[in-house]
Amino acid sequence: MAKILDAVDAVVVGSGAAGSVYASVLAEGGKDVLVLERGGERKLTDLYSSQIWARRLKWGSPHVEEQGPDSIWPNFNAGHGTGGAAMHHFAVWPRYHEEDFLEQTLYKRSLDWPFEYDALRPFYDQVQSDVGMSGDAEQETWRPPGDPYPMPPVLVSNHGRVLAGGFAALNMHTAPIPMAILTETYNGRPPCIWDGWCDAGCPIGALANPLVVYLPRAQQAGARLQSNAHVTRVLTDDSGRHATGVEYFTVDGERVIQPADVVVLCAFTFENVRILLNSRNKNHPDGLGNSSQLLGRFLMCHPSVMVHGMFDEEMENYLGTNGGQLLCQDGYDKQSDPGGAFGSSQWLIGYTVKPNDLLGISMSRPDIFGEELHEFMREGAHHLGSMVAIVEDQPMLENRIELSENTDKFGVPRAKVFYQTSSEGRKLWRTAAAQGVDIMKAAGAREAWHGPQAGQHIMGGTILGEDPSKSVLDAHAQSHDVADLYVGGPSVFPTSSCVNPTFTAHAMAMKSAQHIVENWK
Amino acid sequence: MTISKQNITRRTFVDRALKGSLLSLSFKVGGSALLMTPREARAKELPLQHLDADQTGLLERLGEGIVPGSADSGLVHFIDHQFGVEPDDCMLIAKFFQVEPPYKDFYLGGLSAMATAAEQNMGKPIDTLDESELKQFIQQISKPGTMVDGYPLFLFYLCLRSDGVDVVYGTPEGFRKLNVPYMAHILPPEGWNG
Repeated sequence: MAKILDAVDAVVVGSGAAGSVYASVLAEGGKDVLVLERGGERKLTDLYSSQIWARRLKWGSPHVEEQGPDSIWPNFNAGHGTGGAAMHHFAVWPRYHEEDFLEQTLYKRSLDWPFEYDALRPFYDQVQSDVGMSGDAEQETWRPPGDPYPMPPVLVSNHGRVLAGGFAALNMHTAPIPMAILTETYNGRPPCIWDGWCDAGCPIGALANPLVVYLPRAQQAGARLQSNAHVTRVLTDDSGRHATGVEYFTVDGERVIQPADVVVLCAFTFENVRILLNSRNKNHPDGLGNSSQLLGRFLMCHPSVMVHGMFDEEMENYLGTNGGQLLCQDGYDKQSDPGGAFGSSQWLIGYTVKPNDLLGISMSRPDIFGEELHEFMREGAHHLGSMVAIVEDQPMLENRIELSENTDKFGVPRAKVFYQTSSEGRKLWRTAAAQGVDIMKAAGAREAWHGPQAGQHIMGGTILGEDPSKSVLDAHAQSHDVADLYVGGPSVFPTSSCVNPTFTAHAMAMKSAQHIVENWK
Repeated sequence: MTISKQNITRRTFVDRALKGSLLSLSFKVGGSALLMTPREARAKELPLQHLDADQTGLLERLGEGIVPGSADSGLVHFIDHQFGVEPDDCMLIAKFFQVEPPYKDFYLGGLSAMATAAEQNMGKPIDTLDESELKQFIQQISKPGTMVDGYPLFLFYLCLRSDGVDVVYGTPEGFRKLNVPYMAHILPPEGWNG
């Protein structure tokens, strides 16, 4: 027997980037909101400055099974516990460009969003003002229309200055990276001290994680947060046309039913899909909201390449932020790739490096071992320059999330992923890898090299669209099939662009949440 | 924009005030939990919970060949301790590489594959390799994509190498060796029990 709780107006599944925004807007709109978080409670005082300890912020279970030739790096990209993946995100917040919303219309490629940039712009501006972004809008010559940033850009150390010289030598433009990181005191939050511990979580609140912006606002407005609640299904009424709540399990294995007028899934890309597929019932035998048979489809992941150079100068590569110091979007034009690939690319320049971990000094040359490794570490700690290119992935039908035959500890099928980088993405990656080495050499590196293809950001699976036969959600991120069921996070994106998705996830969540409040029945 | 000298000085001061490596974990001794670093646990020869003497010897031998100094830094005690941690809270980098828990199975599989590779490539067990032979062997297995009997040996090398770098360089003590400021907001608490 399940324990049935009192009904709430809205239940939000997930307390990360999108979930915290939904909870805030709905609660401030006068709704009774409950946020269910799969992981444990996490406080700012839990955010220890250590690459080793930071791994606790990342996803670990239930294990995501991967098939296909490429990985979407589920554990590295996802999170668990209060704040979700946004607790370890780098706060690089460029906007999507106008053309990212119209790729089918403009280029006869990819997909269209069900609205244009102008519809999302007010929400970008609102979120930017709420969190306190830093940057230089005028220097970002590629930037779509938007309010100027409320504060000056992040630090540029020798690392950024030296690498910028390489871009300039090749007639490429750089600008400060737009970041959700404070450079001045803002709404009582202090500025960054350039310590480079962003992905370990920022306990001072200079980086706009959910614990310091939208979750406090939501709780101030009366929203409640329930940790260790493993949501397994969205429930519907007998007609199957309306969401009525969710089922979840406590850590002790107790099954609980939480009735709600509105259900918002913000549990990250693969969990959003897993929960909806597992919610199949007599009215929705293939999963909830899957009349299009596209639930789980169009999975995307940004191909990325880290490029390094060893310099004579003291690079001060330990100062700054994990996301970098400077941005170059000269490759944003969808048709500018010299190899003829379709899609955009960007450079994030001069990110901080710690000695260890996946993005650290040691892993930049995994082939070195023994005493030579110690020599490399001593040199790299002061003379290594690093930057990363992120390129656009294409939405492909065959890239998908399904349910596995294996189950988690609650008997729910695990997520199974099939993913292969699009051929366009692979070409763009090759261009970026070669270009990056040229830039490093132009900047004066005595050695320059690039790493293997990696994957950042997981998008798609519950895509937006106008046509219910070609998408899962409508323009407000509401299910085409089930009223009162909404989804948040990068899983709703029909195109990936080449930019980090968290800002757009925030803006999209705010747009949908305001729609819910304004149209509440 | 320039760096605040005050901040750097303050952070450096905090850093220099640190005595331990601040990778303190809770090790079981005689039914009680004692907080200490992997280095201390190894120096005190605390019993391991998951690995036997042969496995320990093999891990340390390989670890030393890949990251010299890692054995004394408590590489094996760190790994062994993390085998007892739930995947969500695990601090082994194997988690990032999408290794399926339990991680102990992956490591034991890696040791077995290493032993097989040594017999196949070098014609003798790892513990009988001299320094030159060990270096040659590591060069062979550190090539991307190396597999032995279907086991991803290169991935195991990457993980073991990263574990070694973690215990040698991933602490304030390790940062000091490289002469870079640690600049902690919050240092890992010694009372945390993993």
